[in-house]
Amino acid sequence: MTRAKIELGDVTPHNIKQLKKLNTVVFPVSYNDKFYKDVLEAGELAKLAYYNDIVVGAVCCRIDTSENSRRLYIMTLGCLYPYRRLGIGSMMVKHVLNYVKQDGNFDSIFLHVQVNNEGAIDFYKKFGFEIVETKERYYKRIEPADAHVLQKTIRLPSTPLVNGSVSHTKTNGYDAGSQQNNIMFYL
Amino acid sequence: MPPSNPLPPKENALFKRILRCYEHKQYKNGLKFAKQILSNPKFAEHGETLAMKGLTLNCLGRKDEAYDYVRRGLRNDLKSPVCWHVYGLLQRSDKKYDEAIKCYRNALKWEKENIQILRDLSLLQIQMRDLEGYKDTRYQLFMLRPTQRASWIGFAMSYHLLGDYEMANSILDAFRTHQMKGPYDYEHSELLLYQNMVLAESGQYERALQHLQKFESQILDKLSVKETSGEYYLKLNRFKEAEGIYEDLLKRNPENVLYYNKLIEAKQLIKAEDKVAFFDEYKKQYPKAIAPRRLQLTEAQAQSSFENLVDEYLRHGLYKGIPPLFVDLRSLYADPMKAETIEKLIIQYIDNLAKDCTFGPDPSEVKQPASALLWAYYFAAQHFDHKKDTDRALHYIDAAIEHTPTLIELFIVKGRIYKHAGDPISAYQCLEEAQAMDTADRYVNCKCARYMLRAGHIKRAEEMCAKFTREGVPATENLNEMQCMWFQTEAAASYQRLQQWGEALKKAHEVDRHFSEIMEDQFDFHSYCMRKMTLRSYVGLLRLEDVLRAHPFYFRCARVAVRVYLRLHARPRSDAPQTAEPDTENLAPSELKKLRNKQRKAQRKAEQESALAAQVQVKREQHHKARQQQEQGDPEAPQLDELIPEKLARVEDPLEQALKFLQPLRILAADRIETHLMAFEIYFRKEKPLLMLQCIKRAWKLDSENPELVDCLVRFQRWLEESLSGLHPNVAAVLKTETQPMVLGRSALQIAEQSVSGAARHAAALWAARALRRLVPDRTEQALRLVTSLDYPDVTIQSCADVLESLREGDFGECEAVIERYVEACSARFPYAIAFKPAPAPEASENHSEETTPLQPKEITANN
Repeated sequence: MTRAKIELGDVTPHNIKQLKKLNTVVFPVSYNDKFYKDVLEAGELAKLAYYNDIVVGAVCCRIDTSENSRRLYIMTLGCLYPYRRLGIGSMMVKHVLNYVKQDGNFDSIFLHVQVNNEGAIDFYKKFGFEIVETKERYYKRIEPADAHVLQKTIRLPSTPLVNGSVSHTKTNGYDAGSQQNNIMFYL
Repeated sequence: MPPSNPLPPKENALFKRILRCYEHKQYKNGLKFAKQILSNPKFAEHGETLAMKGLTLNCLGRKDEAYDYVRRGLRNDLKSPVCWHVYGLLQRSDKKYDEAIKCYRNALKWEKENIQILRDLSLLQIQMRDLEGYKDTRYQLFMLRPTQRASWIGFAMSYHLLGDYEMANSILDAFRTHQMKGPYDYEHSELLLYQNMVLAESGQYERALQHLQKFESQILDKLSVKETSGEYYLKLNRFKEAEGIYEDLLKRNPENVLYYNKLIEAKQLIKAEDKVAFFDEYKKQYPKAIAPRRLQLTEAQAQSSFENLVDEYLRHGLYKGIPPLFVDLRSLYADPMKAETIEKLIIQYIDNLAKDCTFGPDPSEVKQPASALLWAYYFAAQHFDHKKDTDRALHYIDAAIEHTPTLIELFIVKGRIYKHAGDPISAYQCLEEAQAMDTADRYVNCKCARYMLRAGHIKRAEEMCAKFTREGVPATENLNEMQCMWFQTEAAASYQRLQQWGEALKKAHEVDRHFSEIMEDQFDFHSYCMRKMTLRSYVGLLRLEDVLRAHPFYFRCARVAVRVYLRLHARPRSDAPQTAEPDTENLAPSELKKLRNKQRKAQRKAEQESALAAQVQVKREQHHKARQQQEQGDPEAPQLDELIPEKLARVEDPLEQALKFLQPLRILAADRIETHLMAFEIYFRKEKPLLMLQCIKRAWKLDSENPELVDCLVRFQRWLEESLSGLHPNVAAVLKTETQPMVLGRSALQIAEQSVSGAARHAAALWAARALRRLVPDRTEQALRLVTSLDYPDVTIQSCADVLESLREGDFGECEAVIERYVEACSARFPYAIAFKPAPAPEASENHSEETTPLQPKEITANN
């Protein structure tokens, strides 16, 4: 049997409902309208993953310029349960890595993961991500509420940051609890 | 051709310039020159100038003046061919072709050999299918211009259409040998194929075959040569040669179902095993072709062989994720063995896929893609829906949605399951969800709109369609312009269910006009096809236009129109306004408050709507202006009356109107019993006994067991029993003899009683019970027992809904308690069908949606 066909496609106003359905099923957190509005503007930073022409996964990122650096933040990256462990998540991460490489002007990529989501942590470690920080009570409505920050450094900062310990500011406020989420449990 | 009333040279020169201006569409200048002639008192009444002025005015859209001038011109110069020709052109622009033909004939009286007039006349004659007249005109054109190609072709074609193949063929032969020289181009090739078609239609296949072989090298359409010669070989029983041809054709296209069937014919395979073996061979030869695999499934008769084949077919389809797999196989379900086999396999796949990702029970089999289980669920849902097992169908579709909630097709199928289960509301909600998931998908958009129409939400359906229609124009207007007939026929039926008779009629008339327009549109092809030599397609077009109204769209809209008109005949609309002020005095204060609130709300809504409507109106006017500018090329098109629902619903002669819709069906849909039954209903109300007899006889020939027909016969016989003595003795005698073979000496009551005792099917029971109760109201008890029983083998949601509607219409008198019990019984039998659910409380429905109110549960039935 030939391998299944896996492809990435754009998010458009026509198919955004599919992204919403997917996120509702995959993540225990619901995202508000602003999230989806911004996703439509995100271009290559938001992609749907197709498995044999069916939407089964999606990745949504944004560019974060806080803390004196330009970083890529993975807001969501997930795949429907029956289609996990088929290389769809890897394809999406590779897409992100590729984007960052092409751009050439990113310091790092980072994301949040629920502390008990070992599958996701292992998954990202494969791509060179490391746990750099743990935030307590990061999530408001789910247990455990703590989140690891996973980060992959792209280039070392030319001017070292003061202390490097400035906590991440919560500026985006997409989910109702004004928290960022990246539930990587289901890859 | 001396004009009967010659102008002096200067004026004559002016007149020539009017003609030139007309030809070049410089109408304003034309009028200027006409004025110059007419302002001279000596020529103020010059006929031909007046006529030309009229014709020019017509092109500027000033129709009334145009008629005045042309008629005045004609009166002043009755012997002028110009005046007659102009009058003909004017009539033609108004689509009054019969009148125009008369004018041309008059013109030709005064000028026998005017080519232009003869040509115009021939076009009208073929348009009106005056084939004899056409032949005469083409003959004259041929004699006048024997060197022109069109003269020969038209002449030959006139004979062909009259069925004189020999003559047509000889003309074409003569033309080919004497006239055709030079390169063998496409037109030459088409002419040869046309000639071949003439020969074949004369039934001389041998000769046609020889002709084809003789000219094969000159014919460019190689596929046609192959296909037609294969056809001829089969007709001539030269099977070996046919076999070779179709094998060659399969090499060109191994997916063509027709070639396989013809090849089977050529190989004279009869037995199922032979056919299965035949397809085995071609599966090997064309391993990628689907057609031989699929056709083999139809032929396979033995269970074991079918199971192996369909197993392979299903596995391939599920592995590939072919969405229409079920639709592809549905025709196999006519054979219960095949349906059972498929069910067994699909359930086995689902079990194994869920466990091990394999189709078979052996876990070491090749693993299937993750989507295979999804498509298996999807198939199973449709399978059980087809079996009318709604619960299991919903179970599988929900499993599929749980598995992959992003697949749009799943929601479409879920909607269809609800539709079949008699719940159009849930059905359209599913479709709405599907539609939202891909708003760029036109197919889902149309499906969704259709489901909304089925659920009685016409406004919403229009809004849905508006996503794809032109902006700035109301969706309905644009859909009408595009002749979007599926929408209009569905909307007509929807309005009919909602008892909005005027609106329903409007839609039906719109569809009818599309058909008229399509008939009109053929006019341009009479000259165009002749010029381009696409004669085979042209003859095809003429034959299509002849039976145009046999199209199912026309049948459906005509049926709505006839039923609505019959209804309007039975209960004419009163002129009183519909919404009377409710009696406020007898209301409790709280209710009064509620009422006032409601009124305020309604008023606010109305204001918003009228503001919106005003906007739309402005846009519409802009659009019209733009269109008028666009259409300056054809300002001559006659304006049709605007269709106003209110007016249509207050028609004075509903039966005549109904007949207008029905007439084409009586010729073109004579094989559908409904046609004759509807005709009977009309003539019965018009009390035309001989026409009633005709309808009944025609229906009888089609299906003498039809329960509705039996009811017609009962009523007809009853009518005869009462009125025969008042008829002319000759008429009475004819009626007696002609009805005898059907009535067999029975009285109306006896026929009804027999149909009651013989009613084995649900529809038959309804018709028989209704007839009995109508004839003998005393036997209502018996009739009700018959009609409310659910022990018929063919009980469906629709048949129960029909019974319920009849009960509610009062066909069996007051029977509230019976209705209640019946609704309960039906509801137990069809738990999803909303036709048998109590109407929702008005308050609840208002919150739920503003539009649910017009929908009466009894109006909703499952439509397939």
